[in-house]
Amino acid sequence: MFSFTQKQKVFRIGGISIGGQPGEYPTVLFGGVFFKGISQLEEAKKNLDCMLELSQSTHIPAIPDFFIRYEKDIPSIIDFIISELPSQHPFSVDIIDSHLKPQVLSNLAKHDLLNRTIYNSIHIGITEKERKTLHRHPPAMAIILAFNPKDNSPDGRLEILENSAHLLNKGLLEISRDAGVEKILIDTAAMAPGENSGAAIAAIPVIKEEYGLPVGCAIHNVVEKSHWLTSFKKTIVDASSNALISLFGGDYALYGPLTLSSSVFPVIAWEDILISEYVENYFGVQPSNGHPRKRFFP
Amino acid sequence: MHNYFHHSKDDIWKSLIQQVFDDLNAAGIDILSDGQTRDPFIQLFARKLKGCRLRNRVEIIDDIGYSTPITVDDQRYIKSIIPPEKKLKGVITGPYTLAKSCIDLYYHDEQEVAFSFANALRNEVEELQSSIDILGIDEPFFSVSFPEYAQDLLDILTKNISLPTFLHVCGNVSSVTPKIFDLPVDILSHEFKARPDLFDIFQDYSYPQSLCIGCVRSDDIRIESVQEITSHIQYALSLFGEKIQYLSPDCGQRSLPRDVAYHKLDNLVQAKEALNG
Repeated sequence: MFSFTQKQKVFRIGGISIGGQPGEYPTVLFGGVFFKGISQLEEAKKNLDCMLELSQSTHIPAIPDFFIRYEKDIPSIIDFIISELPSQHPFSVDIIDSHLKPQVLSNLAKHDLLNRTIYNSIHIGITEKERKTLHRHPPAMAIILAFNPKDNSPDGRLEILENSAHLLNKGLLEISRDAGVEKILIDTAAMAPGENSGAAIAAIPVIKEEYGLPVGCAIHNVVEKSHWLTSFKKTIVDASSNALISLFGGDYALYGPLTLSSSVFPVIAWEDILISEYVENYFGVQPSNGHPRKRFFP
Repeated sequence: MHNYFHHSKDDIWKSLIQQVFDDLNAAGIDILSDGQTRDPFIQLFARKLKGCRLRNRVEIIDDIGYSTPITVDDQRYIKSIIPPEKKLKGVITGPYTLAKSCIDLYYHDEQEVAFSFANALRNEVEELQSSIDILGIDEPFFSVSFPEYAQDLLDILTKNISLPTFLHVCGNVSSVTPKIFDLPVDILSHEFKARPDLFDIFQDYSYPQSLCIGCVRSDDIRIESVQEITSHIQYALSLFGEKIQYLSPDCGQRSLPRDVAYHKLDNLVQAKEALNG
């Protein structure tokens, strides 16, 4: 447990604060919705309610991360956001297909949802059309994926932020700011086992110390790809893996599907309390009013 | 779970190398290269050498060392796709240029940095030997400042290497003649098109190396005509005769649009063929 010498930025969206020194704000948990498509809306609603309830009971902020895979799904997912999420509650949109990204942004703008939107993500595959659409419809916040195909070390992740490893004409930080996105979260790009997967965790303090930006990752990706775990109870591994993020100074976790909520939220709340106790005693970092330590031990 | 690339990374690099090969081969170039597609020429080597950290500029933070082959896989790949009658030049960035391009946070001694790079790169040269036909060494910084230990540096790279060795120094090399002629390489490659004054300077000396004459500019999108290149080569031949063993662009073509680079190469080959009759 430690504190950074670099001043740490804190970004707010819809009443949730992300960033700061370890122990200052609770870890924000992003839970994935619709990864397998939008066929089971009722199931998704049930899981979303469960996540929001756990967030209330553990005092850990929750943000649903909506996977959007097909153009035809865009209206249904936007309807779901409008009807099922509390008004003003932030959400993120996770779009893999670069052709879909401008369409999603335009639709979010049309429904006046951009002020609640966390765009997941800007990465080295960014297209000119995506840049222009981001400029026209800037989301309130964006995640930059620090994936570097040339170098999967923590330094490689810094390089992609700084100069895109010379794959693009500018670094991803500058590209994001040029597009009008000022509230930036860094995702350290968890890779499959064997591809320096631990570097996603190691890169968290490196990037926070360098830029002072909020940092996190989707360590669940590594767990999911660890096929040898199939015969064991993976949810335990998932919950404990996500705990590594805050232990290394991270600010948020893309913890996997919503079905993992019941195991992840208590672990993260417990750990945030542990960290807060130490960093307040050693570094004098006060927990925010909404921090689980303040709420459980007023 | 996200797959950040739909194709494997290896496939992407291979397709880029294939693109380089397609252009060089279509233009009729005899000596091919991998095009150094992966990185700019400093980062390409620094990325895989121990002791280097890539920031906006490369930083040296520990003992420089060789841990893994750097360009060998790419050279083997292009060797596997080129016709047997074509030759392959493997290019390494010279130790002095690497030393001058990096920020030294560890040795605090430029000479020590340069020798550390040279010793590390020697391993790469040995690994490359069986995959390439010609070894190229890029030392553009020699035209800016020529170290008194240049010969020792290149000795480390070229000693007991059986391949023909090119030394490419772009920029104005007039200030480093005749010292450059003492270097242990077989062929000197310079920007004779951008710096025609080099013709007069090289005429004043005798030297053991052969010459590679730069015939089209690498810093100008204007495409030199076949006639213009032919005249340039004829003039070079009138001065140096059989000393000239190779014709090439002045320097790497990284900064040129792909179609411009291709047309320059195409015209260069046409000019050579016109002269050969």
